Amino acid sequence: MKRSGSTTDPLWYKDAIIYELHVRAFMDSNNDGIGDLQGLTQKLDYLQDLGVTCLWLLPFFPSPLRDDGYDISDYLNIHPNYGTIADFQQFLDQAHNRGLQVLIELVINHTSDQHPWFQRARHAPKGSPERDFYVWSDTDQKYQGARIIFTDTEKSNWTWDPEAQAYYWHRFFSHQPDLNYDNPQVLEEVLKIMRYWLDMGVDGLRVDAIPYLVEREGTNCENLPETHAIMKRIRQEIDQEYFGRMMLAEANQWPTDVRPYYGDGDECHMAFHFPLMPRIYMALRQEDRLPITEIMAQTPSIPDNCQWGLFLRNHDELTLEMVTDEERDYMYLAYSADPRMRINIGIRRRLAPLVDNNRRRIELLNSLLFSFPGTPLIYYGDEIGMGDNIYLGDRNGVRTPMQWSPDRNAGFSRAVPAKLYSPVVMDPVWGYEAINVEAQQSDPSSLLSWMRNMIALRKLFQVFGRGTLTFLNPANRKVLAYVREFENQRVLCVANLSRFAQPVELDLEPYAGMSPVEMLGYVPFPKIPRHAANQQYPLTLGPYGFLWLELQAPVVGMGDDEAIEEPEIALSGATDWKSVLEGNGQREIEETVLKDFLPHQRWFGSKARTIKAIKVTDWAAFHEGGSALALIDVSYASGDAESYLLALALTFGRAAEELRQRHPESVLARLSSIEEDGVLHDGLVDPGTVEALLALITEAGELTSRHGNIRGVPSTILENLRGTAPLAPRLGSAEQSNTSVIFGDRLILKLFRRQQPGPNPDTEIGRYLTEYAHFPNIAPFSGSIEYKCEGQDGSTLAMLQGLVANEGDGWQWTLEELDRYYESTASRALRPEHMPPARPSLSRLSEEPEPALAHEHMGIYLSAAALLGTRTAEMHLALARNGMSAVEDPSFAPEPMTLQDMERLRDSLVEHAAQAFDALKENLSRLPDAAVELAGLVLSRRRAALDRLRQIAGGEIHALRTRIHGDYHLGQVLRTKGDFVILDFEGEPARSLAERRAKQSPLKDVAGMLRSFSYAAFSALMRYSSRRPEAFEQLEPWARMWEQAASSVFLRSYRESIGGASLAPCEPSQFERLLEAFLLDKALYELVYELNNRPSWVRIPLSGILSLPL
Amino acid sequence: MNQAGTADLLLAIPAAVNVEQLRTAATEAVLHMSAVAAVGDERSLSGLRAAVVYPGLSGTPETSADGSVHLDPTGTGGEVRFLPFAPPATSSVIPWLGLSTTYQALFGTAREMGVTACAVIAPDLAALKAELLKPLLAPVLDGSFDLVMPIYPIGKFEGLLNSGILAPLTRALYGKRVRFPLAPDFSISGRLLPELEQPVQRITSQGKTLFWPATEAALRDRSICQVYLNVHHPAAADGLDLSTVLTQTVGPLFAEMEVNAPLWQRVRGSQPVTTSGTPPAPAADEATVDVRSMLETFALGFRNLQEVWSLVLPPVTLLELKRLTRLGPDQFRMPDDLWVRIVYDFALAYRLRTLSRTHLLGALTPLYLGWVASYVLEVSNLRIHEAEHRIERLARAYEEGKPYLLSRWRWPDRFNP
Repeated sequence: MKRSGSTTDPLWYKDAIIYELHVRAFMDSNNDGIGDLQGLTQKLDYLQDLGVTCLWLLPFFPSPLRDDGYDISDYLNIHPNYGTIADFQQFLDQAHNRGLQVLIELVINHTSDQHPWFQRARHAPKGSPERDFYVWSDTDQKYQGARIIFTDTEKSNWTWDPEAQAYYWHRFFSHQPDLNYDNPQVLEEVLKIMRYWLDMGVDGLRVDAIPYLVEREGTNCENLPETHAIMKRIRQEIDQEYFGRMMLAEANQWPTDVRPYYGDGDECHMAFHFPLMPRIYMALRQEDRLPITEIMAQTPSIPDNCQWGLFLRNHDELTLEMVTDEERDYMYLAYSADPRMRINIGIRRRLAPLVDNNRRRIELLNSLLFSFPGTPLIYYGDEIGMGDNIYLGDRNGVRTPMQWSPDRNAGFSRAVPAKLYSPVVMDPVWGYEAINVEAQQSDPSSLLSWMRNMIALRKLFQVFGRGTLTFLNPANRKVLAYVREFENQRVLCVANLSRFAQPVELDLEPYAGMSPVEMLGYVPFPKIPRHAANQQYPLTLGPYGFLWLELQAPVVGMGDDEAIEEPEIALSGATDWKSVLEGNGQREIEETVLKDFLPHQRWFGSKARTIKAIKVTDWAAFHEGGSALALIDVSYASGDAESYLLALALTFGRAAEELRQRHPESVLARLSSIEEDGVLHDGLVDPGTVEALLALITEAGELTSRHGNIRGVPSTILENLRGTAPLAPRLGSAEQSNTSVIFGDRLILKLFRRQQPGPNPDTEIGRYLTEYAHFPNIAPFSGSIEYKCEGQDGSTLAMLQGLVANEGDGWQWTLEELDRYYESTASRALRPEHMPPARPSLSRLSEEPEPALAHEHMGIYLSAAALLGTRTAEMHLALARNGMSAVEDPSFAPEPMTLQDMERLRDSLVEHAAQAFDALKENLSRLPDAAVELAGLVLSRRRAALDRLRQIAGGEIHALRTRIHGDYHLGQVLRTKGDFVILDFEGEPARSLAERRAKQSPLKDVAGMLRSFSYAAFSALMRYSSRRPEAFEQLEPWARMWEQAASSVFLRSYRESIGGASLAPCEPSQFERLLEAFLLDKALYELVYELNNRPSWVRIPLSGILSLPL
Repeated sequence: MNQAGTADLLLAIPAAVNVEQLRTAATEAVLHMSAVAAVGDERSLSGLRAAVVYPGLSGTPETSADGSVHLDPTGTGGEVRFLPFAPPATSSVIPWLGLSTTYQALFGTAREMGVTACAVIAPDLAALKAELLKPLLAPVLDGSFDLVMPIYPIGKFEGLLNSGILAPLTRALYGKRVRFPLAPDFSISGRLLPELEQPVQRITSQGKTLFWPATEAALRDRSICQVYLNVHHPAAADGLDLSTVLTQTVGPLFAEMEVNAPLWQRVRGSQPVTTSGTPPAPAADEATVDVRSMLETFALGFRNLQEVWSLVLPPVTLLELKRLTRLGPDQFRMPDDLWVRIVYDFALAYRLRTLSRTHLLGALTPLYLGWVASYVLEVSNLRIHEAEHRIERLARAYEEGKPYLLSRWRWPDRFNP
């Protein structure tokens, strides 16, 4: 009979707390010296009281027990030492009755050599289905690319079987032959086994040794596509036939390599995060958070229905496979002084001995385990701080009997001690007389009580199992601080990794106004201040101290007067904007509301500046009075004032409460009126408001504002683009300085938040390219909302464009391509004759063919880069078309580049360059070691660089100045199906409108894209080598080859497409000189940016500068 | 109750009832409500097809009532059908309280019939009159609310278990100011019904007894309103041992706290619930209550239960209780914050199983009587509405004391002040 699972929530494993145990080691009910299922059942109350929610049982199947039960000889039975199927069923029912889920092992890569399938296979004729249950070969030379895992004991993955007269394949011990998944019958048998246990009601399966299921010649026989196909099939069977069951993958790999085992949420539900564990210990010992933050930065996101499994210790050694050689040496020195503590590539110790039995360290590590994103796993005995016995062989030292009481055999068994499957731990510090459950249960201050409380606390907050993780970066690296967020739950976790008290200041600006409440004791901490820009939140933590702080939003409208800080504006009715934006309301808005609101908006560009005053300068109501567009001027304590555009809306009653729940960040103020209370909020979260804005454009509508008017201007293509079907609006998420609303799959409306009088270049160029030049490779311009006020140039409030179906932006797409590139070149050292030149000239780049190796490894990227060169040239030709037409728009008319233009350009480039070199000199001492040498080289070329720039104005140049993109890089193009679309003609937002609209040489855009190739090549290399540091040096020439090949095809196709047009200098030396000047300028600009923001990235622009022929 | 057909409204009677009286009252109430609505063009009430489900299938003659239909003679299309059902074998010692097992059956039937509303009516049928049924049902039938709870007119010395523990504790936990969270009359929307099946099933399967409609609606953020219902049910717990009543009412409330801890721990403050209707005129002032026996029980409890109380209550609370035992009736006042902390500490001890749960609630009895005595002494000279304000003050004390509960709940260290 098929039994249902024990939960109603299909995502139960996300909130679970897993307890891993050996049946053999937990409790002996029949006094034979070996733990059994009935003993385990007796202890379920203890586990329920501890608060864990899921029990993971290590293998309990019949087995010769030569690999702790992972050598199974009968998958459908219970090892007689542990009981019977009936005992298991009773245990399962009892666990379910207590709300505990049960996870068992599914060892499907191999069986014991005693399994009937193997015995049958040995005796069956070659090629028979029985023989084909395993992987056989006449030679032991197949699959040479597969490494040997148990190097201590195995010399080959093949073992000769005299009976079969053939070699059989085994990735682990020679007594564990691998099953042959190329035989479909094998998978069918495995599915039968799986159904057998799931039918019984088991909630989850931990699938052992997943990466090795399938073998293929010429590969390392790990993580093959065929293996994923098998996992998908197993998952499909589970999903079709069962509800609420879970599959946990054991794949001791890097997170990026484990990621494919989640598939698209259609393979495993969970997988262990192996590399995190050693790094937690490393961070603790080094008193530095970096090992943890680095590995988490390399952890990819996973599908919503998937989860990481986290652990501090388990039944195996503390594996050090996923660390560098140097880190491994450090870990051995730090945590295994006695060589007996080491095994394979790891340390065979329990949690408490690893941290010298220091209660604070144990608590700190558990606090990390419980608050990191994933499901925590507790290894049996670690909840009481059990010790180990390093004098036992293999990993048996961490598999000793559970210590229940100070009675004989630690209360585990009444057998004579000699009969025990393993001696109990007996030394004075770790022995069962000192450390046992009974003593700790009666001690409210015991580790057991602490664990019970922490588990109960964690279970109160789904955010720990399901929330996002954002690291904070306080200056003190001994402190690890991160925020977990899920729905309306926000928790700030702060941990002191040091043995001494530590101060820390946290940047909690995104949480301004919230009240941190310490979660263990519900202790309120001082509120995060609202008005203090750049003010840090100070905390002090004791040695190994940690804090979990729930960040509570202010409570409004619940009679909690103390918490109500939100300003209130009184209205006479539901459309009374006058009361909001004029008179008393205006004062409230200007003096209080917007000063709170603006610094929290992503699009507000002056968060770091101190606001002096805000003034509402103009406004107009629309959407039947429910919404309004408002323009405000913001002046600062220093520097120029700025203007911003707000789209506001009024919402009342229940809808207002719902809006508060869904978009609390959008609320500016409370509204009180005679009829109903409501909220003033950012109108873009309200579908009615954004639909009204769209209608303003499509219907060419007009609004009268207090001092001017606002017009909707549709483009000639809008009607066709819009279609007639309703378009559901949604707020875009990618924008930084503007705000976008997407309508269905057709249109995107971009609100220009920062307002400057005069034509907006994005709209201006978009309109020009769509309506005049008919350039197809941009998001088609569909209309705009224009504002005109007396005595002032008009400005664009919003732009409507066609939505372009795409595969992501060019930057992301390029990084993915580069990942593949490095993967394919990682194992190949570049021979000296193939080394790319360190400083190739631009003429060589654009004239010489790319090396054959580049063609071999770069795949489609070369042709894509060529196409991008063509599209870039076509864009520049289109932007210059005005000069060749009778209908001329002077703002687009190309102009010859005069000597004076060149002199102005020279002066500006030289000035920028000098500033950049000065900045580098000032920051030299702060640079990472790896960059100091490069920086010194760059500084030594200061004079040469400045001279080079001065030379550009050395003579007349035959080229044009035209409108250009102005901020051109891979992030500004979208990869569409086999093509590119160019976006965002706004120019660099930090520059003035006049600068952004100025005509310049198109080669500035070309230089921008070439630098972007360089950035992509090296940032992908840094990402790749962060998990394989040893690969950096070997791959660096490959990175240069990639950059040069991409640049080469881009440049060549650009020049071919430009043809004889006089846009860029036709004379090669002039072309080269001007482009080099722009490249140097761009690289120096990047240098300053990285010095200020990401010193660890400074190598990229430094290398870029050095690659120029100075 | 299979093949019960469809209906707009289910009137559910959860416990034994006089069938003849039920038939007459229900037919009259529903058809009258329907007919009046037809005249007044109240679409939600006009032409109501109602089914009345009551416990009757136990081999008794009431089975003959199965399927009987009463049509509205005015031709509005209104009808009333009567459907007896076999009530679960278990029963409550508090007869007017429906058990979760009963609700499970009733809600299942309501869902099968696809009703727009389900009204649960106390078996004394006091609320089964058109003028009372209409306000209880209309907000649900017209789709404005998902749950309608009544506010009964009570004297200042009535319903003190509700006023002293059930209502203020529920309000502080779940954030909705519902005056009678365990009322025997209430109505639920067809929308909310399917969502209640799972909690009712859980309560039943865990062997618990009471179902808290307002709590379940609040947890799901469903709309709740209250109506003044001029119904006076006979004193529910008359003749019952107080400890038993506490065990059967406060016990389930404490048990639900454990289940819902992740939710109520994030509720701060409370929100008023839309309340309609007019408060009935206050009854004449009640006779005074003699509190001497209560105070004696309290003092006796202090002497005999100190050992038990000290397992539950922290030393500062015990010290305050000791001070109270020295006071005469004139001065005896139990401060709200003290009473609130006592209730919260007992709730925690219930969760931790510090001692047997029955014994625990037994140990709460003298403390509860101490609070009742204090309250009675305080309000004896007040008018009813002033006493109601006093209850409101206590409810606020529960809310203000909630951080104490949270702190104790999350880190239940006995080494505390």
